[in-house]
Amino acid sequence: MKTDGCRQWRESLGAYALGHLDGEERARLEAHLDGCAECRAEAESLGAVVTLLPHADPERFGPAPAPPAELGKRIAAKIGAERRARRQRRRLRLGIGLGGVAAAAAAAVLAIFVLTSDEGTGPEQHVTFRSLPPGVRIGATLEPQAFGTEIHMYVKGIRSGTLCRVYMRGPSGASVSAGTFRYRWGGDAAATLSAALDLSRARALIVHAGDRTFVAPLGGAETALHSHYQEEEPT
Amino acid sequence: MPSGALTDERDVREAYSAHSAELYGFAVRSLGDAGLAEEAVQETFLRAWRAGERFDPEIGSLRTWLFAILRNVVIDLGRARASRPGLADGGIEPSVEPFDQALLSWQIEEAMRRIGEQHRQVLVETYYRGRPYAEVAEELGVPEGTVKSRVYYGLRALRVVLEEMGYED
Repeated sequence: MKTDGCRQWRESLGAYALGHLDGEERARLEAHLDGCAECRAEAESLGAVVTLLPHADPERFGPAPAPPAELGKRIAAKIGAERRARRQRRRLRLGIGLGGVAAAAAAAVLAIFVLTSDEGTGPEQHVTFRSLPPGVRIGATLEPQAFGTEIHMYVKGIRSGTLCRVYMRGPSGASVSAGTFRYRWGGDAAATLSAALDLSRARALIVHAGDRTFVAPLGGAETALHSHYQEEEPT
Repeated sequence: MPSGALTDERDVREAYSAHSAELYGFAVRSLGDAGLAEEAVQETFLRAWRAGERFDPEIGSLRTWLFAILRNVVIDLGRARASRPGLADGGIEPSVEPFDQALLSWQIEEAMRRIGEQHRQVLVETYYRGRPYAEVAEELGVPEGTVKSRVYYGLRALRVVLEEMGYED
């Protein structure tokens, strides 16, 4: 029975829902509601809104405080920094004993401090060399792939322009080349390399940086805290 | 990953422009301190970004999800503050009002802010201040019937705004 006649009733529905109609007016409206499903539905719907009103504080209907203009930029900067840090963390810090002493360069035998870390955090494997000369860092994150192993190398603090050759050694002792990269000072020294050797079978990660060779045992190999490696020629 | 997941920084920027005002307004009301509110909103968007892959618009709106994160942030801030009793002396006592109650109140207040001034005015005068319609009509210089119809259209507008805001009862 929705007709134009409903309009006058409708406009009383708000006051009705709020309980503001006096006895006589309310009785007349309720008589209409008895016969008009649409107005009844509207009254119920407004009634539901009215039940919410006591939860609000009319002192707080003024303009809400706006967030400071720089908050959005600050959040974007935080997220950007966190994303970069996350990416950085993927690159392992492998320290090379690039011996601060020049004489050490001639030595065929290098003392390497090796520590593998972050075991069990996933399929990736991180390799860390510790006890480095100040400022020198080399690291790697190894990821198993269908083709073999993906190697994310991270280098810092060695002479700019140094050619680095990376190998992985398998269980038989044979080495597989993972490729080469050149460290450039100031640049993003992360290089992604790949070797056709399954990570699970890899026994060592070998880095020739200039005339130095650094070997980190992998997987099942014993972690050497202070082992001596013979400098070797790449195969 | 569900489509619509909040994974890149552009998604976060869009979410920020759509919802930060509301989150911040509520955080100020809930925490009673602008500085803490900023901290809470910042933490909310950081957490949203970190967990972005888990947001699924099929399950609920972005707004609902962000408010759920803010809820945890506010609780954590409250805990952190409880363990630093010295701060309480500074007059930034956390609101003791439970979060959900505060959120309900804030949503209705926000809806009130969004409806027209004339509608809000008659609801404040007749409902919150309990003044007779005739008195309000005289003060506004309009017929009593106009006050009554404004009350009706005001409640309707409130209903529409609450729906738009995603209010779920």
